[in-house]
Order: sequence, then structure tokens, then C-alpha cells
Amino acid sequence: MTGLSLVHAGRPARGMTARGYGAWLGVLGLLLVWEALAHVVSGAFVLAAPTEILAYLVEDRGLVTRALGVTLGNAALGYVFGNLAAIALAALALLWPRSERIVTGLALLVYCLPLVATGPILRVLFGPGAGPQITLAALAVYYTTLIPLLVGLRAAPAGWFDLVRSYGRGRWSELVHVRLMASLPYLFAGLQIAAPAAFLGAMVGEFTGAERGLGVLTVRAIRALDVDMTWGVATVATAVAILAYVGLGMIARRFLRDAPPVILAAPASDTVRDSGSGWKAAIGVTVIALAGWALAFWVFDLNPFFAKGPMDVLDALLLAEDAGATRGTLAVALSETAVYLLPGYFAGLAAGAGLAMLLVLVPVIAGTAMPLAIALRSVPIVTTAPLVVLLLGRGATGTIVLVAVMVFFPTFVACLHGLRQAPGQVLDVFDSFAAGPVSRLVRVRIPAMLPAFFAAARMAVPASVLAVTVVEWLATGAGIGSLMAMSASLSDFDMLWSSVVLVAAISALGYALVGSVERRILRVYAPEQLT
Amino acid sequence: MAPDVTPPPEIICSGLAKTFDGRTEAVRPTDVTFHAGQTTALVGPSGCGKSTLLRMVAGLEAPSAGQLLIGGMPPAETLQNAALSIAFQDPSLLPWRTVRGNIALALSLARRPVDDAEIDQLISLVGLDGFAEARPAELSGGMRQRAAMARALVTRPGLLLLDEPFGAVDELTRHQLAQDLPRIWEARGTTTLLVTHSVTEAVLLSDRVIVLSPRPAEIIADIAIPLDRPRESGIERSPDFGDLTDAVYAALSRGMTLDRPPLAAQ
Repeated sequence: MTGLSLVHAGRPARGMTARGYGAWLGVLGLLLVWEALAHVVSGAFVLAAPTEILAYLVEDRGLVTRALGVTLGNAALGYVFGNLAAIALAALALLWPRSERIVTGLALLVYCLPLVATGPILRVLFGPGAGPQITLAALAVYYTTLIPLLVGLRAAPAGWFDLVRSYGRGRWSELVHVRLMASLPYLFAGLQIAAPAAFLGAMVGEFTGAERGLGVLTVRAIRALDVDMTWGVATVATAVAILAYVGLGMIARRFLRDAPPVILAAPASDTVRDSGSGWKAAIGVTVIALAGWALAFWVFDLNPFFAKGPMDVLDALLLAEDAGATRGTLAVALSETAVYLLPGYFAGLAAGAGLAMLLVLVPVIAGTAMPLAIALRSVPIVTTAPLVVLLLGRGATGTIVLVAVMVFFPTFVACLHGLRQAPGQVLDVFDSFAAGPVSRLVRVRIPAMLPAFFAAARMAVPASVLAVTVVEWLATGAGIGSLMAMSASLSDFDMLWSSVVLVAAISALGYALVGSVERRILRVYAPEQLT
Repeated sequence: MAPDVTPPPEIICSGLAKTFDGRTEAVRPTDVTFHAGQTTALVGPSGCGKSTLLRMVAGLEAPSAGQLLIGGMPPAETLQNAALSIAFQDPSLLPWRTVRGNIALALSLARRPVDDAEIDQLISLVGLDGFAEARPAELSGGMRQRAAMARALVTRPGLLLLDEPFGAVDELTRHQLAQDLPRIWEARGTTTLLVTHSVTEAVLLSDRVIVLSPRPAEIIADIAIPLDRPRESGIERSPDFGDLTDAVYAALSRGMTLDRPPLAAQ
């Protein structure tokens, strides 16, 4: 499977019962420490003990169950629509290969839209109801299904296609006999990651002004400084997300022979080989996005008070009398966000890669850490944002930590996997020279890790922007997330739309920037990974 | 056995050449005829372009120049009639299909009815009795090659193209496969093209060995192999066999020292 940075984890070994008991004991120990700690700091209003969470959930079970039902329903609808959209886009790219760059570029741009601002905009466009939550859930999932699916549809060895062609059959037979089955593990991996993501999207949609749902309860609990309720709702959200992930994993294992792929990012494209096509695609994507945006206003005849077209945003940013002031406000907000975002992003990358390297030096732990890390990666970190804010305060620390945690898990999983991909025979050569573990790490394993690391770093850009804007929106009162929250509540739709456009553009540019660093480095260390 | 669906074709290459990206010459303009019902081996050093020649015959690669006729027809037409089969160094079995399913796939790709009795007979013929319902992951490398060969043979092709079909297995297995499998297509009188870099295998299996130069491929020698068939185990130690392999080796060495001007200068 050369040319892909989508790689497979081995099936976990059988006979893990002893380790299984160990895990349960670990969870029990953690709960006890948590309980004790909560009682020690009980006056500080930051940490609820497991027993207090349980007490809250029992007491308010009616309220929480109803809210959960609403959120689950919205998440499920968004999950279905988002994944259907992903499959349709993948089919388009497959049937018309020249459209693939435009399709993936537009998909990335839409994925980079800040959910916290898209929420209120959708709210005014849809009117009352569950439309925005469902749309946000769909927006949160379609990209992470589309990308692995596209890779999966190409994942088959060349020999399989030669076989089909040697009997005079064409692309349709390739699709039916080879691509569909070969892409199933990738599709399931995407669907599995999508389950908690849909739940997260629905909750973020509820943060931004719904009437019912767990997100509404979260906002209410934070406003009321109700520690037990904040923790209770976050616990339910996290548990449901993990259960959805595990449940889909079990369904996938019934269907599949191979374990699903671990790293869900498309390989970097080698723009040197087909020079200029990257720029052409970027310009094409921008033009189509702007045209689609303008067309939507014309077709749906939207209310110009809250619906702004490309010209309105251009006007607000460049031509209007107060354009200078608008730009100033945005610049201040963006620079505040950068102070949270950049340290968090790089700390998350460093911690993920660093811990993976440390673990590889102790191989026994690495084997156990992998399944745990894959499971934790699925936790929608943003649903725990209220807890991080409670624990670490509304200042910079909490936000930076949350961004770092958001980046940490996917990076850690990817790096651990990449480090273990190091070719065994090369390691044997190093053994034969009696090279120490550090030398093996630096000279063999880290180069082998680079493709996975960069794939994770690229995908972490939109994820970290999502994290930072959500925390700013909910709690910190600074940065672009807070500016969007304020603009939404003051009905300053010029400012809101301008922020959305800027955040999406910066996010997509960040993704492209990481991609270009990636290409430079992989061209030296892993040229076979570039497509 | 039923008669072949397609009669073994004669393959005529005239001025056939392949250049990749307009720069890398893989095959120099070549005139050669592969006779109907014969097994012809193409021998040459690694990367010399012999696989490219085979892929052009298979219709998987378009020639840059020259003409190729298979039984008087262009390759595209041969493909449409599913009149050829190809087996690669990599068995290329679909992992989600059983041995039977992989063999049946060739029949459905060739738009023929799936005949279970015929498949069973072939599974037995290649020595995979009892493994019809096994999946590729459960088979050894040699067994996978046997399954791939059964898949190539099930459509009863008039033309069989083999690209290092025993290249990925160990020496013992390779020897066994080279003894067992060729008997099937020899008995059918199939036109067979075999790409290999094993001189012994080429002499053992073919009626004619064509020696190619290092890339870009050019024909250096065309050596007839007049050994009787069926060729019994141990024939490799006969003096005739030794003389023939020596001749092939000598041609290969000549090719390595060949001093050729680049094509543009000619």
C-alpha cells in the first residue's frame, strides 16, 4: 500500500483478560482518587466528585434524559446527512477524477467554518427548530468520512486493477469488484470517528441558542455556576460519545476482516511533480466558493439584514466608512486568539509526538497504550470544555490546555503508530551494529514516523481552531470566538460574517501551510508517500 | 476437457516500442513474432523492459510506436473477447473472496457462466484440494500462486501471459510449481509468454528463449529450445540442458557489455 498515509493497526491480541482486569482496576483507582480530590477542593467550585455527579444525574434524570434524547436525535440525523453527503462527494470525485481537487478543497473550506459562528447564522436562516443543530452535526462529520473514503477507494494494489483490465473490463467493474470492498475498512473508520463528532456538532449547535438539548443544559449550568450539573452533563456527553464510538467499532468488526485504518488523513500531494496545479486548485476552490455563496443568496432570496453576501463582507472589511474600525476589532480578536491557539497547537503536537517516542523506548507499555489512546482520541474534547474552564479558569491556561489536549490525542495515536511502522530489517541492521535505543529512535523510527505526524498535524489545524473558538465563545470573553458570540447577540451580522470568512480562510491557509512544510520534509524522508 | 474457447493466437510485433513520459526508453523498436501454441520466454536483467513488453501485449500499456497484432487483431479487441489471461509475480487475489470466489471472479469478468464443477476440477488440478473455501490470508505463498494460476486458466485463454509467476516464492516451492503448473497449459496448447530472470526456468518451461538487453530492451538472441516434452524432473542435469542455459547466459553477458548510442543519435 505505497502512496498512502492511511495505515492499519494490528488486531489486538486475544487473551487480554488479565490486562482487561487491570484496566478496570485502573478505572476504579482513578474514580477513588477523583472522589478524594473533589472532597479536598470542595470549597473551590471546580470539581464534582463521582458520587455528586451520580446524585445529580439521579435527581435530574428526567431533565437529562429528555435533553439527551433531543441531542441524540439531532446528532443521528446530522450523522446520516453528513455521511450521505460524504459518500455522494466521494462518488463525484471518483466518477469525475478531475473534480477531486476542487471537491476536497471545497470540503476542507466548509469544514474550516467555525461551528460556533455558523450556529447563530444558521439559527437566523432556519428560524426556530432543530435545523441548525442537525446541520452542524452534519458539518462536523462529513469531512472525516470523505477523506478516508477517497483514500480507501484508491487503496487497492495496482495488480487488482490490471486483473480487471486484462479481461477487457473498465472502471465500472473496477468499482464493483475492487474499489467498493477495498474501501469498506476506510469507510467504517470514518463512520466510527464520525459518531462522537456528530454528537459534538449537535451540542455546539445547541450552545448557540437552541431551546432543548444537552448543549442547552451545559450553557445553563455554566451560567449558574452549578458544578455538579456541569460535570453531570459533561459526563453523560462523554459517555454517550465513547459508547457510540465503541458500538460502531463492534459493528465494523462484524463486517470486516481487517482492522480499520488508524490515521484518517489524505496523503500530502506532491505539487512539484505536477507543478502549479495546487495553486490552480486553490484559485478554483475560492472562485467556486464565492460564486456558490453569492448564488445561494440570489436563489433563496435571504433577508439582507442577517444574510450577508461576498460583496457585503468585502464592503464591511474594505469599503465602508467604519471598515478601518472593523478591521481593527478583528485584528485585536485574532491576535488574542493566536496567543491561545499557537502555544496550544504546538504544545499538543510536541506532547503527542514526545510521549509516543518515550513509550516506544519502553515497548511493553506501547502495546497497551495504543488501544487506550485510540479510544481516548474519540472523546469529543470540546464537550469537556466547560470542565477545563472550571478547573483551570477562564484565562489563557485553560484555553491553551484545551487546544493542546484536542491536538494531543490524534497526534499521539498517529505518532505511536508511525514509530512502530519502522522497517524491522532496518532496525535489525542497527541491532547488528549494537546501536542503542536512542540511536534507533533518532535514525530509524522518527523518519518512519514523519508521514503520520504530518498527517495528524494537518488535520489538527481545523480541530484546534474549533476548540479555541468554542472555549472563547463559552467562557473566556476574549479572542475571535468571543467576538463572534458578541456579534451574534448584538445582531452585528457584518462583523459575524466577516469573522466566519476570516476564520475559515485562516484555518484553510494553516492547513495548506502545514501541508507545504510536510511536502518539503517528506520529499527527503518518504518520497513514496507523496501522491 | 472441453475445447478451448479461443484458439491460441500468433502475436506479431512490428517496430513495437515504448517510451515513458517522452524520455525514458523502456523498449526499443522491436520486430518479433511469438508463434501460436508455443511457450516463449523473455529473459533479461531486472528492469530491462521485458515486463513492459508483456504489458503491451496484455493491452495494459499502450505502445509509443509500432504495431501489435494478436491473432490478426489489435490488443483492445483481444481484451474485449477475454481471450487472454495474465498472472503476475504478486498473486493479486482479492482478500475478501475465497479461492473459489477468486477463480469465479475471472469467469464473471470474462462474462462467462460460473461453472462450479469446472472450478473444482481446476482447483484439484493445481493441487489445492480442500482449500476451495479458504481465503488468501489462510494460504501459503505457493498456494496463493496456485490459486492465481487456476484463476488465469479457468477462462481457457488462448493466450497466457506470465510475469515472473513464481518469482515471489521460495526456491523449493518454485521448483515444485514449475514442475506442476506448466503441464496444464502445455496440454492445452496455449500460446504462452513467460517473463522471468531465471535462466533455468526459461529453458525448462519454454520452446524458445528470447534474450533482452538491459534497458531499453532490445532483442540480443533468439534461442530455440528443442527439448522433448513433457520435461521430467532431473532434465536440468542433462548435457543438452546445460548447453542451452550456457547459450542463454552467454547472450545475457553480451547484452551487459553492449555499447549502444542513445536513440536520438541513430
